[in-house]
Amino acid sequence: MDIGHLKQHSDLNFKVAQAKKNALERLRSRQLMAYNERLFQADANTINLVSTLKQHSQDFYVLDANDNPCHITDPEEFLDRLIERNQETLNAYHQLHQDLANKRSK
Amino acid sequence: MTTGVLMYCFDTPEVNYHRLAERCVAQIRKYLKLEITMVTNLETFKKIKPLGMINYKLVDNKTTNTRPYRGKSVAWHNKERALAYDHSPYDTTILMDCDYFVFSTTLLELANTKFDVMLHDRVEDITGEDMILGKNESTLPLVWATVTLFQKTANARRVFDMIQHVQQYYPHYQNLYRIRYPNYRNDYAFAIALHQLKLGNFIPTPMAMLADRVDIIDSDDEGIVFKYDDCVNFTSGQDVHIMEKEWCDG
Repeated sequence: MDIGHLKQHSDLNFKVAQAKKNALERLRSRQLMAYNERLFQADANTINLVSTLKQHSQDFYVLDANDNPCHITDPEEFLDRLIERNQETLNAYHQLHQDLANKRSK
Repeated sequence: MTTGVLMYCFDTPEVNYHRLAERCVAQIRKYLKLEITMVTNLETFKKIKPLGMINYKLVDNKTTNTRPYRGKSVAWHNKERALAYDHSPYDTTILMDCDYFVFSTTLLELANTKFDVMLHDRVEDITGEDMILGKNESTLPLVWATVTLFQKTANARRVFDMIQHVQQYYPHYQNLYRIRYPNYRNDYAFAIALHQLKLGNFIPTPMAMLADRVDIIDSDDEGIVFKYDDCVNFTSGQDVHIMEKEWCDG
């Protein structure tokens, strides 16, 4: 493979890597969710935490994204909203990921 | 409880900020659907095209500051922001530069939480070239005043009073915090006020940003296409601070 061809691949991979990085930042930004006047990230950590605590009690406290305590009195509803937002953002990211994979395989 | 957007827009001899503001308003209408108040001067107000229902507040702004832009020193009318607490008619205010463009509803989520003052303390250069942040620019934890959310609380009042004080004695604070940037900059004034008062919440995700040497070559209401060096890339569905000032001139 000549160096010109390698450079083309390198440029493409740089663009794809940057697009992926931006898409992940956008995903994290879209995962921000207000609940009971507090701010949460609808990511795997929050979902796992709420899911685990919910198995022990229907009324508990968690820290929000700015380390402020939030009283959760309806964990079912909170978890549903977290999962909905999480999957909405991951679905959008999945579509972009597919597009990028197609670009790379061309 | 009322929530709205507060913007400052003053044309300078070099930059048609009113064109940026017109585009900014269109994006706010599409994604945030909030009431807007624009603080401007008479000269700029006359140039703004009819934008529908907007509250205008006309002021005589200070015109004593400058900034470097693409190798030149240009006028920079940025000192009125210190009065945002008094200018805002809202309980929850999204104070926004007119070169910040919303392409998502993220700011609505932030506005629906409880805080005194909330702003970005991190930025993400979406070109991946790290053109934004310099090294050792001050001894201060930097914040970005581009988008600042505040609620009408006693603490927020104190923050804005402190910003006005910092603006008045800026050379002293500039020296104290070893700030290299020679001109008055709101990012530093806000950072100093929050540092002195030990207040403020930060937006958990970084602010997407494009440096002034990046050209915007196309846009629609969902995103923008940008060019730097030989690279062309795009962003969509992501709020972004664009430092190039001519892209809305047509």
